[in-house]
Amino acid sequence: MDLTTLAAGLAIGLGGIGPGIGLGIGVSKAMEAIGRNPESYGTLFVPYVLGIALTEAVAIYALVVALIILFVAGA
Amino acid sequence: MVHVSLKAEPLFAIGPWMVTNSMLGALLVSVLLVAAALYIRRRASVIPTRLQSLIELPFEFVFGMVRDQGGRHWREILPLIATIFMFILLANWMGILPGVGTIGLIEHEGGEEVLVPFIRPAAADLNFTLGLALLAFVTFIYFGIKAHGPGGYAKAVLLPEPKLLSPLMGPIELISHLSRVISLSMRLFGNVFAGEVLVLVLLAIGPVFVFSVFGLELLFGAVQALVFAILAMTYVVLATTSHHAEGESSEHAPEPASGSH
Repeated sequence: MDLTTLAAGLAIGLGGIGPGIGLGIGVSKAMEAIGRNPESYGTLFVPYVLGIALTEAVAIYALVVALIILFVAGA
Repeated sequence: MVHVSLKAEPLFAIGPWMVTNSMLGALLVSVLLVAAALYIRRRASVIPTRLQSLIELPFEFVFGMVRDQGGRHWREILPLIATIFMFILLANWMGILPGVGTIGLIEHEGGEEVLVPFIRPAAADLNFTLGLALLAFVTFIYFGIKAHGPGGYAKAVLLPEPKLLSPLMGPIELISHLSRVISLSMRLFGNVFAGEVLVLVLLAIGPVFVFSVFGLELLFGAVQALVFAILAMTYVVLATTSHHAEGESSEHAPEPASGSH
């Protein structure tokens, strides 16, 4: 087993923890808001997708690092 | 053994230009979109046929979104946002079709037999997503300069309100502007590429398992197209509204909401 493989796995695995928690909080709050006031769905939709996308960006950075370790630095 | 290629594989060369399999994928999507546009131009009627409704459906969706949330310049950015959305949507969904990514030539690479597919989903190539992200970047810079003037826009980015915090906020704002290109391109590339790898790995385990992720891939393809389009639109809105204008618009904002009751 190569150490670079382990490094790539750790990079995306540990990097996914934070965004996972963040996405969970964000989605649950949005669902709560829609549940309380179903009419707010239309106004919530774009800010909701934006927030989700920006939270997810952190995980994407971890993915980029993992890919660089796996394909560029490790090769 | 699963073979994963991070970059698109070159198929043949036209003069000095290498034609890669993801370029063929993007070309196929372009041909489909142009064909749909020509069909709509020639055969559009007030009572839509099934095909016309199918083509109009994604456009109407983006149209409503950009009209409601696109700010003052929504008419100008609508063509770009709608094109980005439909291009990415079609490019992502094309990756699910059988034959894409599986039909190709067997090539020898370092003693290993490697399948080089003829068509690769366009968004699984970083060049494609980076190009789209740069397009979105140039667009929101253009609208920002158009709205505030070159000096005004530079000042809004580098010296944001409040004045006292601007030495701290200026660099952060600048980095956040520049990182939009990276996050936009990497988000789309990462999602589509990860989807491709997921399908490949499941294929290696057992072809039956692939069906379990097809629905997920359909959803992700649409969501990522939507996210890219919404972000491109929001960056333009953020660039064109200044802090003073924001206060005005928030006073008017409740009106359409109360009108809907």
